Amino acid sequence: MPAEKDRLREAIQRTLEVHTADPRDARAVAGATLGTWQQVSERLTPVIGERGVDALFTRALHLASATFPWLADGDGPASAATFKARLEAHEARAAAAASQAVLLAFTNLLATLIGNPLSERLLASVWAPNPSPEPEP
Amino acid sequence: MIDKVSIRRLATGVPGLDAVLGGGLPEYSFNLITGPPGAGKTTLAFQLMFAMATREKPALFFTVLGEPPLKMLRYQQQFSFFDLARVNDTIRFVNLSDEVATGKLERVLARIAEEVEAFSPALVFVDSLRSVKLDGPPVDGAISLQQFIQELGMLLSSWQATTFLIGEYLSESNPHPVFTVADGLLALDQAVHRNSMVRKIQVLKMRGQATSPGMHTFRITNAGLEVFPAAVVRGDTPAPRAPAPVPSERRLTMGVPRLDEMLGGGLPAGYSLLVAGPSGSGKTILATAFLSEGARLGEPGVLVAFEQTPSLSRNRTIDDLVQAGKLGVINTRSLDLSIDEIVQQLLTMIRKMKATRVVIDSLSGFELAVAPTFREDFRESLFRMVTALTALGVTVLMTSELEDRYTDLRFSPYGSAFLTDAIIVQRYIEVASCLKRVMAVVKVRASDHSSEIRQFEIDDSGLVIGDVVLDYDGLLGGRPTRNARDVAAGGGLAR
Repeated sequence: MPAEKDRLREAIQRTLEVHTADPRDARAVAGATLGTWQQVSERLTPVIGERGVDALFTRALHLASATFPWLADGDGPASAATFKARLEAHEARAAAAASQAVLLAFTNLLATLIGNPLSERLLASVWAPNPSPEPEP
Repeated sequence: MIDKVSIRRLATGVPGLDAVLGGGLPEYSFNLITGPPGAGKTTLAFQLMFAMATREKPALFFTVLGEPPLKMLRYQQQFSFFDLARVNDTIRFVNLSDEVATGKLERVLARIAEEVEAFSPALVFVDSLRSVKLDGPPVDGAISLQQFIQELGMLLSSWQATTFLIGEYLSESNPHPVFTVADGLLALDQAVHRNSMVRKIQVLKMRGQATSPGMHTFRITNAGLEVFPAAVVRGDTPAPRAPAPVPSERRLTMGVPRLDEMLGGGLPAGYSLLVAGPSGSGKTILATAFLSEGARLGEPGVLVAFEQTPSLSRNRTIDDLVQAGKLGVINTRSLDLSIDEIVQQLLTMIRKMKATRVVIDSLSGFELAVAPTFREDFRESLFRMVTALTALGVTVLMTSELEDRYTDLRFSPYGSAFLTDAIIVQRYIEVASCLKRVMAVVKVRASDHSSEIRQFEIDDSGLVIGDVVLDYDGLLGGRPTRNARDVAAGGGLAR
């Protein structure tokens, strides 16, 4: 199980990095996060419905806000747009960490409900492929 | 000559269901699965889907509510038929909650049409119809639920999809319009009676084929549903008549010295024999001897035991036979069985063992093991079971506990005596303040048999049948009196 979690953490990190044009720019981080999130949502909505995805997202945001309290700032329901705005309002490295935390919380939450194999199966195409390990010099 | 359209029947992959359906589900049919919450509708749908979907015949599963799909996936994964590798490959899920939320059934229909066109499924499931109805209050000018169902049926049949709608309650007083549209109607139910729960399935409708009528019991285990088709006895077909096998030339030896002679040369093959007697009279020993003798002669047997505490000596003999692969044992202590479930297990075991001798020990235990809801029909069910067994050509020995009554002569508490082809009755009698055992062959259909009442004893080797009790009268009254002739001659009953 820990190995799977590590693998997932790496996949999320790698995916966000691949899609972030400039890691020093919080707006680029937020853009990559939103793009990845939309892909996750696209894969899952047909299966568990928009309401199902929203409910999991709200819960994931809540879980991640334990480490990043500013994720829960402001009023109104959690949405992808407010999530993006909050990421943009912060420093790039903090935004990247928070973004990973939310995605990780979300995928873990999904896995506890429908199991790891099925959630991996549903989301496999979202994550950037693992580059083949470089041969040791 | 005009070729009629031939409808392919799809194997459902649910054990026993094909038999109930009359050979599988018609291809491109539009089916409805109904039943109260917890009846197993979604499980049945999932099991059908995983069994029938292939790469050439993929399946689309439309879910109608927002959150439950998560739970559905979570719980359905627990069944062994749930194959993760096929999700998003041969099986795809589509959630329709957004369309349903608009309240317009046209939108739901359009989305289904769109997905069906895109994916070309051979199987379509919609779970559940009730939520379509509840979540979609009719809007002015919108199509009604009936139109929706009709159009859905049309659409999916023309797209060559076999369809399953999962519904809710089935009310007999107010038949839902969808029932007329559906080609097939599977009603699931769970009957709670006293302390036991029995699941039942009924095929209320299946166009174009002869289904097996009535309620069939089923069980849900880790492997999903298993249906136990009721053994149907048809009086109107020229099928072999109920328990009246052709008197066979072949006779089975009983494994008890002198008993074969009493039966007129052994028990005719294919007969059913009832051994009735009070507790401890030796019914089980006789039955065990019958099985051992079969094993000795290379005739495998099956024992259905319902005793709570099997006797030790029998256990040893039985264990040896089982170890040697000459005997199959079905021992059940559950109290919510249906007779059909036992029959199904029994038939499977008989085929597996190629058994020719079957022992049911005892009917009294059997009655106790059967769910209370079936006890009222116990006699009828026994009849069905005996018929199913004799149809296979096996020879059946059933034991029946008989309360010793000395005022009347009865052979079984179920009135089952007429069901069997042969009857042996055992009794206790009192002689000189000792209990002695006697037995007699009461009936062997279409065969000569002894009418003598013989004394017998039980020792380590089993039953030892003695001579005819000549010197006493009134044995069946339990209190024999020495008859005058023998008193004079000084004869007597073996002590």
